[in-house]
Amino acid sequence: MNEQISALIDDEIAVHDAAHLITSVQSNKQANEAWSHYHLIGDAMRGSTIFGPEFKHNLMRKLDTEATVLSPNAALSADKSVNSRPTFKNQIPASWSIAASCAAVMVVGWMAINQQTQTGNELAPVEVAQTIPAEYLMAHQSSVPTASTYYIQSVNYSE
Amino acid sequence: MRCFALACILASSALTAHATSDDDAWILLQKAAVAAHALNYQGIFVYQAGRQIKSVQITHYFNGKNEFARNVILDGTPREVFSQGGELTILSPRNEKVVIEKRRGQNMFPAILPTNLDAVKESYVLKVGEIERVAGRPTQLLYLTPTDGLRYSYRFWIDAEFGLLLKSVMLNPRQEVMESIGFNQISLLNTVDLDWFQPKIDAKKNYVIEGEADKTIADNAANASWTIKDLPAGYRKVDQMKRMVPGRSQPITHIVFSDGLASVSLFIEPLLKGIKPKSGHKLVGTTSFYAHVIDGYQIIVVGEVPEATVAQVAHAISFKK
Repeated sequence: MNEQISALIDDEIAVHDAAHLITSVQSNKQANEAWSHYHLIGDAMRGSTIFGPEFKHNLMRKLDTEATVLSPNAALSADKSVNSRPTFKNQIPASWSIAASCAAVMVVGWMAINQQTQTGNELAPVEVAQTIPAEYLMAHQSSVPTASTYYIQSVNYSE
Repeated sequence: MRCFALACILASSALTAHATSDDDAWILLQKAAVAAHALNYQGIFVYQAGRQIKSVQITHYFNGKNEFARNVILDGTPREVFSQGGELTILSPRNEKVVIEKRRGQNMFPAILPTNLDAVKESYVLKVGEIERVAGRPTQLLYLTPTDGLRYSYRFWIDAEFGLLLKSVMLNPRQEVMESIGFNQISLLNTVDLDWFQPKIDAKKNYVIEGEADKTIADNAANASWTIKDLPAGYRKVDQMKRMVPGRSQPITHIVFSDGLASVSLFIEPLLKGIKPKSGHKLVGTTSFYAHVIDGYQIIVVGEVPEATVAQVAHAISFKK
């Protein structure tokens, strides 16, 4: 099934021969997920403009054009009362979560700018480095001209 | 081994003659730098650094205009790295997810040599070695030795027929192998299609894009409050950016220096309240690390270079009062 879905996305199966596939993508949860995964991978590998350098710019522009919901709770409770409508979350999930995290980053960033740096006479005690902090090692590895570190499972995966 | 037209062109030139003088050695190294990008090949190489050993399958294709490479890590986590033009796409399984990361392109084996070797010539001498056999192929061994203690030395085994780099070893001044990477098996590829340039999909896993992991902002160093002078000999600034790192609320400055082969990263960040200043130096595997504090700034230097080099980079920076 998944091979067929992949083939359909790659235009290896004609759309008019694939009615059964499209039906299963619509009805079968697993097939539906496979469909979105293949599209996501395809977009990423083709270097889709969505993930390009203008990503943030485009996102911010999109956010600007979006209506501001000042009371999301009210919208949600109103939503619950009308059961026939798909949930609010399902309608625009991506822009909501992205908008929220973007706002969070902006707030944190603003707080950081307003933080003061340590002055000479109130320096915290110096920590003697025992290991190479992973965040610097990762940053180094991802930016140097030559990389051999992709081969080893690097330190970066805390999950 | 099947012969591809481009390989024939490469092989027909001076390459087939074994290098005899040091000038010939530089020409051969130059050929190796180009061959890794221009040839079509498929093989399995082994990467070894410290106790880490990984086998990697590589397929590389150049259509005369664009380069495509797929690296599949064969041991442990089945990670795949796709390189196309100036971009990398990395698929790494993590628990029940597969994370897709986009990165700026980097040189990966066997394309680890810069095509312009002028910077390398300044800091290293190249000597011709023996003819040795690697991955079933006759190769010319070349010794690249630094002229000072600020970088490691290398040995390169270059295919005597096709000019491809088949094996590379990095050694410290005590002649201990720090890192080794070399083909077990290699063949030229006679292909025009890109069927292989796609990941092996695990339908049971969720594929997610890692967006913010490698976020950088161009930095033209305008209004910098610091200056850099007395860098270690042969090292030049090759890149500068601002980047977000986990655990920091503000982007930090990241500057990359290189001598053509070895690279060093310098990180500069103001010491914010609540961040513990770090100090000290450390060598872990091939990577040296140096941390110290100057004028309320945390300076961190990281690189696959001797400790003297990271220390010198860390002290090359001074802040305007």
